[in-house]
Amino acid sequence: MAIPIAPHAWHRNREGLGIWEGRGRVVATGVGTSPTARRWDEKPDTSMGALTIMAIRRAIEDAGIMPDEIDGIVLTPESTTGVSNDPNAPAPAGWDSVFKSVDYPQAGITRGDIDWILLNMPELKNVEFRMNGPVCMSVAFTTAAEAVSRGLTKTCLVVRGWHNLGGRYYVGQGAAALDTASGPAKYGSIWGMPACASTAMVFEEYCNKYGKSHDMMAPFIVEERRNGLMNPDGYYTQHRPEMMTVDDYLSGRWIAKPANIYDNDLPIQAALAVVFTTPELAAHHKLKPVYILNHAQTRPELQGAVPTLNEWERATDRMGRMLYEGAGIGPEDVSFENMYDGFTLFHQFHLEGLRFGSRGEKRGYALDLYQTDISIDGPNPVSPSGGNNGNGRTRWWNHRDCILQIQGRSPSQIKRPAEIGISGAHVPNFCDALVWAASAD
Amino acid sequence: MGCVCRLAGDAYKGEGLAFLISFDIDGTLEFGDPPGGITVEMVRRAQQLGFLIGSCSDRFPSAQRALWEAREIKVDFVAAKHMLPDIRSRFDATKYLHIGDRELDQQLAQQAGFEFFWDHEGVAEPWLAWLETHAD
Amino acid sequence: MIPAHSSITSLRGAQLRKQSPVPNDLDRPFYDACNEDRLVLQHCGACNRFQFPPRAMCPRCGNPGLAWKQVTGRGRIQSRVVVYDSPVSTLIPDQPFNVATISLEEEPELTMLSHLPGVPVDKVPIGATVEVFFESTPATGQKVPEWKLVSHEAPQTPR
Repeated sequence: MAIPIAPHAWHRNREGLGIWEGRGRVVATGVGTSPTARRWDEKPDTSMGALTIMAIRRAIEDAGIMPDEIDGIVLTPESTTGVSNDPNAPAPAGWDSVFKSVDYPQAGITRGDIDWILLNMPELKNVEFRMNGPVCMSVAFTTAAEAVSRGLTKTCLVVRGWHNLGGRYYVGQGAAALDTASGPAKYGSIWGMPACASTAMVFEEYCNKYGKSHDMMAPFIVEERRNGLMNPDGYYTQHRPEMMTVDDYLSGRWIAKPANIYDNDLPIQAALAVVFTTPELAAHHKLKPVYILNHAQTRPELQGAVPTLNEWERATDRMGRMLYEGAGIGPEDVSFENMYDGFTLFHQFHLEGLRFGSRGEKRGYALDLYQTDISIDGPNPVSPSGGNNGNGRTRWWNHRDCILQIQGRSPSQIKRPAEIGISGAHVPNFCDALVWAASAD
Repeated sequence: MGCVCRLAGDAYKGEGLAFLISFDIDGTLEFGDPPGGITVEMVRRAQQLGFLIGSCSDRFPSAQRALWEAREIKVDFVAAKHMLPDIRSRFDATKYLHIGDRELDQQLAQQAGFEFFWDHEGVAEPWLAWLETHAD
Repeated sequence: MIPAHSSITSLRGAQLRKQSPVPNDLDRPFYDACNEDRLVLQHCGACNRFQFPPRAMCPRCGNPGLAWKQVTGRGRIQSRVVVYDSPVSTLIPDQPFNVATISLEEEPELTMLSHLPGVPVDKVPIGATVEVFFESTPATGQKVPEWKLVSHEAPQTPR
């Protein structure tokens, strides 16, 4: 049966909507994170599907509830990686002895699937509400927030898995190995730009306009790595516990100058599940509930081959205004920001749109802010989760950490009181973001 | 025994013939990610025979040093992959070789005036033949 | 099928071997015009707005009745990257190479891409005026728009 996505009416993508009707009526409680791996070793027990099931069970246990209390799932089915793979390839040998299968052979391997999850998790016997939040887990989070606020599900899992197949990154593979280019990708691919190039293009425009330089990114990168290495669930902590120095970052080779290799995140295998519910039901959950005060969306203007600086600034300014309007707060109320950083060079656009750490500036100040104390101990904790740069490539370390910060149990807990935080992903002009808070007051 | 790595700026001026081998790490060396076919023992053997050895990799330099230290190998250099020209200028060698698993490794090696072997070619330790060739 | 052409614009004396784009029903007017050395873009009459790449409707208002209109082919260099690690096999031998965004005279928010043939790597004059010409791609001969400097004004100095 086809799984629906959120109707357009659920999107909060314009100003003037006032306070969100669901403000304070949706909370997050339990968080479940799978172990990470660099690549899949083709064993069923370490597949994306297996990690997803593990994350779900951990989230339910973390919330202190029973599986049969779950009545809804919102899932991001897509999982992208750096290696081309055949979307119709059969499951590897031995798969069927471990997992029950659905029609789509790659379910649980390179694509998430709610039916596959329910087939392989019989304990989730009361799930009736099912919805996909496509493309990005941010979409799943905002979709689930709306669904709970509308009473469509009372205790809902928000889920995403990431896969990374064996082999090296996508250079010279698949369509990139051909001498012709087809499909919508051709408008960009014939110019030979790697994935980070569009972001680097806008970053270059930013630096030229505001008189900044790539070197100014170094303190942010190093601080993110430091924060990520505090996270026992992060890839680097588990597999490569190496602290990066400023010199290390600045020595990185260019991929698409001004983006160097360390501005690009590392693909990994991992999964996350979070329990959303109502404040009333959260009373019997184990952990302090984290309130969602608002969510908002921006989408691309789709006018040119790559976005412009103007478009990214318009989009992120608008995101900031929409978030604050619907939550009934202002920039001065925000304790920390956990906006997306994969690629690192666009994090500042998100941050400036929120006016986080601004001393009155609207734009062009973020790289200067990076030169100040942006640590978890300082007055303006930037990306305390460590993001993808600090933990490996997912689109959820930032969201996860917002919940943990407000619950007071983040491994990189900020020193100032964590009352209100904002997270969102992914690119500045295609973003779903949420305002998280310790109370609805 | 700890590993002492020559710091940047310590130019090597050997007497007689000197051969330099730079190893990519990921996809090339057995402790890389993904692991490659060149073993630590091959590297140690080359060093014992007098080759200048080190790594030029996408791992950041401080991480490269830590990897070699963990295997108790004193490398002569570590650098980012694109710094092969700098390695060439710092060390006065008769032959310079870079071993890697990507077209980019080959391209960077050739641009820097290094000979290049693919990782799968390197497992045969072809550099050992240089010692015989230059024995006279 | 356009006969393959052997002439490819040089960059630093090396040839940039772009992949040949394969036209489809939606973008065939664009690529046919390229083969005639004309730059045409979709235009939404309701929004009075050009857009690229081609789409089935205007993303702003949903108007499916987009018209193809020829534009002057003049623009300015808005930004640039230098590609050192391209994913595209045919371009790997030529790296590093420039990729610039060109902002069109008729629609400054509409950006197209260019390798800026003839411009030295990492010496891109941001803000300089450019005009379009059409370059054959090696595999099928399909032409694509490229851009050349008209004047070397550089109001913003590249770093």
